[in-house]
Amino acid sequence: MKKKWIWFIPGLLAGFLIFGSGSVMVKHTSENEYCASCHIHPQATSSWMQSVHYITKSGTYTNCTDCHLPPHGQGYLIEKVKTGARDIWSQWTKDSASFNWDEKGQLENARHHVFESSCIACHQNLFPPELTKEGADAHLYYTSYKEKQPDLQCINCHLNAGHFIAGYTHGGNTGFGATSLSNMVTYQSPALVSRFENFKEQIPGSVVSFNMIAIPGGTFSLGSPDDEPLRDSDEGPVKKVSLDSFYMAEIEVSWDEYLAFYAQTSGEGRSSDTKGNGAKSQHTDAISGATPPYGQPDQGWGKGLRPAISISFHAAETYCKWLSGITGKNYRLPTEAEWEYACRAGSTDPYFFGGDPSRYQKSGLRAKISRNDTSVINSFVVYAENSRAKTQEPGFVTANPFGLKHMTGNVAEFCSDWYQADAYSQYSGDVIDNPKGPSTGTERVIRGGSYKDEAGMVRSAAREYTRTEAWLRTDPQMPKSIWWYSDCFYVGFRVVCEFDTKTGK
Amino acid sequence: MKTGISRRNFLGTTAAAGLTSLTFPSLLTGCSSEKGKKTTVEVMAFLDQAPDGPELKAGLIGCGGRGTGAAIDFLSAGPNLKIVALGDVLQDRVDACREELKKEKGHEIADENCFVGFDAFQKVIDSGVDVVICATPPFFRPEHFAAAVEARKHVFLEKPVCVDPVGARSVIATARKAAGLGLSVVTGTQRRHQRDYVETYKNVAEGMIGDIVAANCYWNQSKLWHFFPDPKWSEMEYMIRDWVNWSWLSGDHIVEQHVHNLDVIHWFTGKYPVKATGFGSRLRRVTGNQYDNFSTDFIFENGMHMHSMCRQINGCVNNVSEFIQGTKGSSNCRNSILDLSGTELWKYEYPATEDGQPGTEVKVGPYKQEHIDLVTAIRTGKPYNEGENTAMSTLVAIMGRISAYTGKEVTMDEMMNSDMKLGPEVFVMGPVNVSKDVPVAGEAYIPGSES
Repeated sequence: MKKKWIWFIPGLLAGFLIFGSGSVMVKHTSENEYCASCHIHPQATSSWMQSVHYITKSGTYTNCTDCHLPPHGQGYLIEKVKTGARDIWSQWTKDSASFNWDEKGQLENARHHVFESSCIACHQNLFPPELTKEGADAHLYYTSYKEKQPDLQCINCHLNAGHFIAGYTHGGNTGFGATSLSNMVTYQSPALVSRFENFKEQIPGSVVSFNMIAIPGGTFSLGSPDDEPLRDSDEGPVKKVSLDSFYMAEIEVSWDEYLAFYAQTSGEGRSSDTKGNGAKSQHTDAISGATPPYGQPDQGWGKGLRPAISISFHAAETYCKWLSGITGKNYRLPTEAEWEYACRAGSTDPYFFGGDPSRYQKSGLRAKISRNDTSVINSFVVYAENSRAKTQEPGFVTANPFGLKHMTGNVAEFCSDWYQADAYSQYSGDVIDNPKGPSTGTERVIRGGSYKDEAGMVRSAAREYTRTEAWLRTDPQMPKSIWWYSDCFYVGFRVVCEFDTKTGK
Repeated sequence: MKTGISRRNFLGTTAAAGLTSLTFPSLLTGCSSEKGKKTTVEVMAFLDQAPDGPELKAGLIGCGGRGTGAAIDFLSAGPNLKIVALGDVLQDRVDACREELKKEKGHEIADENCFVGFDAFQKVIDSGVDVVICATPPFFRPEHFAAAVEARKHVFLEKPVCVDPVGARSVIATARKAAGLGLSVVTGTQRRHQRDYVETYKNVAEGMIGDIVAANCYWNQSKLWHFFPDPKWSEMEYMIRDWVNWSWLSGDHIVEQHVHNLDVIHWFTGKYPVKATGFGSRLRRVTGNQYDNFSTDFIFENGMHMHSMCRQINGCVNNVSEFIQGTKGSSNCRNSILDLSGTELWKYEYPATEDGQPGTEVKVGPYKQEHIDLVTAIRTGKPYNEGENTAMSTLVAIMGRISAYTGKEVTMDEMMNSDMKLGPEVFVMGPVNVSKDVPVAGEAYIPGSES
C-alpha cells in the first residue's frame, strides 16, 4: 500500500498541471468516480446505489459531494480543502485495513460527514403532501426546536438515506422482538431458593433463565482515593460502607430476558399519559408494559445474550417490578453502593484485575509514547479499545472474583440512586449502613462505563449519570416514549434480588 | 463521554432548553424607509370584489348556520363563483342550507351533490370542487382539512380549527403541506380581514404606541343556544345538534369563541404566550359539559402578561374586545389609538352611511372580505395561507382551557408535545363513548384530613 503513495504528491501536482485550471480540477475531484477511485471503501458505492438517494422515481440521483460537502457558496471550497487534506493525512498515516466502517457509519460519526445545509438545499419543503402523520410530527418537532437544539439534524432520523443499511428502521416498530424464542420448553414456575447460594432464575411463561450470584454482605470503601489515576472528584470522599447480603445477576439483563417481559406485557398503543403509568401501577396488580419501540432498539447488533439497550430507566424499573411479581421474589435495581461492592469483589485497586488506569489508556501523548500493554484489561472489559463500537456477549470476557461478567464496560448500568456530584460527602458517620443515595435529584446514577469508554471510565469507582433529554433527542413521537431511549445505546441494567437474613430466602 | 466541562454544566443547561419560536407566515412585510427611523408596514390591499376569472366551484362541509352563511359570503365575493356540493351528517341541515341558498342567491344544488353522513365530507371533496369550505363543529376540522389538502383543494376553514393539541399539530402540518402545494387557506378569524382592525394594526406595527407591554382580551356575552335531548335522536345526533355545549365538539367556549380575541393579540404582538394559569367554572350552563366562564393569565416568553376573560352568562356586563398597552400609548386594536394621557392620537375613519351620517361599519364586512381575499389569492396566483397562525391561536386557547380544567399551570411546550385527543373513536349515530363529566379542578377537602 505505502509504495503507491510515494507517487501521490507528484501525481497530484501533475494533475494540477494537466487540468491547468483550478475550476476544472475542483469539478473533476467532485465527481462520484473520483471519490470511488481514491477512497478505500468499496461498500460506500454499493450501499449508496442501494439507497433512496440513488433509486429514485425520476431516475436522477444524488452525488457524493451533494451530501458530503456543503452547497456551493456555503463553505463548499473550504470544506473541500479540509476533506482533501484529511484524506491525504489518513492515507499517509493510517492503515486503511484497520478502519471499522460499521463504526464510522453509526450516527454519531456519520453526522460529522454530512452537511445539514446540503440536506436543506434540496429538501426545501419539509411537508410534502405524502408525509405521514408520524413524519409530520417529527418535522414539526424539528422546525420548532431546531433553533435551541442544534443537534437536531436530518440525519438523526434519515441515517439510511444516503447509504442503504439492512434492517434500519426509523418508524414505529410494532414487530420488534416478535419472532425470537420459539420451539423451546417454557418454564412453568420460578426458581425455588432455600439457601443463600447461587441459583438459576426461571422466568415463568418463557423459555428464559439467568444466573443469580450470591454476594455475601460486608464492609468496603466506597469511592476512589484522591491519588487514583484518571479519577473524577465526584468519586470522593471515600466512605466506609456496610452492606447486607444480596443476589446479583451474573450478566446484564439480556435481550432474551427483556423480550420475555416485553412479550408478556407490551402495550399495543401508546399511553395517553405523558408522565407514564409507573406511579399508578404500583397500586395495582397489572403492570403496563412497554409500547412498541420507534426504530431499531438493538441497533442491528443482535439480541440473544447481548445486553438490552435503548431501555429507559422507567422501563428498567418496571421490568424489575414485573419480574418480582412473576417470581415471587424481590428484584430491583442495585444501589450505587451495592454495584460498586459487587464490582470491586474485595479489591481496593482501580480495577478488580489490578493495574494502573493510565497504563491502560490509549489516547493522549503519554499513551502513544509508552505503547501501553492492554492485554489484561482486554480480557476482562469490553471498552473502546476492543469493542468494535458495539456491545458484546458474556462469553467475550472473564468474570470478576464474585463471578459477575461485564461489571465494567459493555454497557453502563442503571443504579437506583439519584446522581449528585457530592453524594458521598452527604453521608455522615463512621460506617454507613446500606446507603441509598440522595433523596431527590433529576438524573440517576449509571455505573461501569461502556463499550464506548476508554480505560479511565471503566474503573470500579467511576461515576456517570443519565441524560434523559439528550437521550430522547431524535424520538419524533409526540409525546416522546417513556419506554425507549432513541439516542442512547450504551446503557443497560443488571438486577439484584434481596436476601432476607431472617427467613433465609 | 465524560468530560469535565460538559458534565458539570449539563443539568443546568438542558433544563432551560424548551420551545423555540415557531415561524409564522405573514402577509405583512416591514421595511425601513430611506429616511431612517420610521418603519412602513405594508398590509393587504383590500378589494371590494374579487377579480373575475374562470369559474371556481366550492363544496360546503357542515351546513348549519355558519356554514350556510359562509357559503353565501363565498358566492357574494365576486363573479363566477359557485357552490356545487353540500355535505352534513344531518339531512335537515342539508335541506335547509339548500333552501336558503336558493332563496338568498337563486342558487340550485343538484340532488346527486347533496351528501349526508360521517363520510359526506369526502364525497364533497371528491365531487369536482376547487374550494372546500369547512364549517362543521370544530372537532372534525383537522380531518376534513387534511382530506381537502390531500385532494389539492383550496380551503376556507371556520375557526376554531381544532379542539386539542393533536388536532392543532395536524392542522399546522396540513397548512404547511398546503403551502408546499401552492394552495390558499383562509380561516374564519375574520378580524384579520376587517379593514378597521387592519388599519389599526398598521399604525401599531409602525410604532404609534411604542413597544407592546401588556394585553387584555374579552369575550363576555350572554348564553348561547342549547337543545335538550329528543327521543328521536341518538346520543351522537343530540350532541352534534347541541355542539356548542360539549367540550369535545367545540373545545369549550374559550376555544370556540374567545379564539378570535386571543388571535388578535397573537397578531398584534407577533407572539404567542408560552404558559397559562387560568380558572373557570360552570355556573349557569344548561346542557353539555362545558364551563361558562374562564379567566386566564397568559405569560409570554419576555414576561409580558395577557389577561383573558370569557363568559356566556345572561344578566352580566358584556364586552367583546381587545386592549394593548404600549410604551407610548394604547389601543383597542379595532379603531382607536390613545397616547399615555388618554388623548386620542388616531381613529379609523369609517365611510359615511348612505344618508350621509357618520358611519360605524367598514365598507365591506369582514365575513365577506375573507372570502374576497381567498378568491383573490386563488385567481391572482398569490397563495395566502393563515392555517398555521390560526392553529397556534387555537392552541393558545386550548392551553387556557386545560389550565382551568386541571387547576395547573400549562406550558406551550407541553401543548406541543401532548397526545391529548378529545372525542370518541367510533362515529355512528348511536351512543357516544366520551366522558360527559364537567371537569373539576383541584382536590376536595376531606373532613378530618387536617389536624
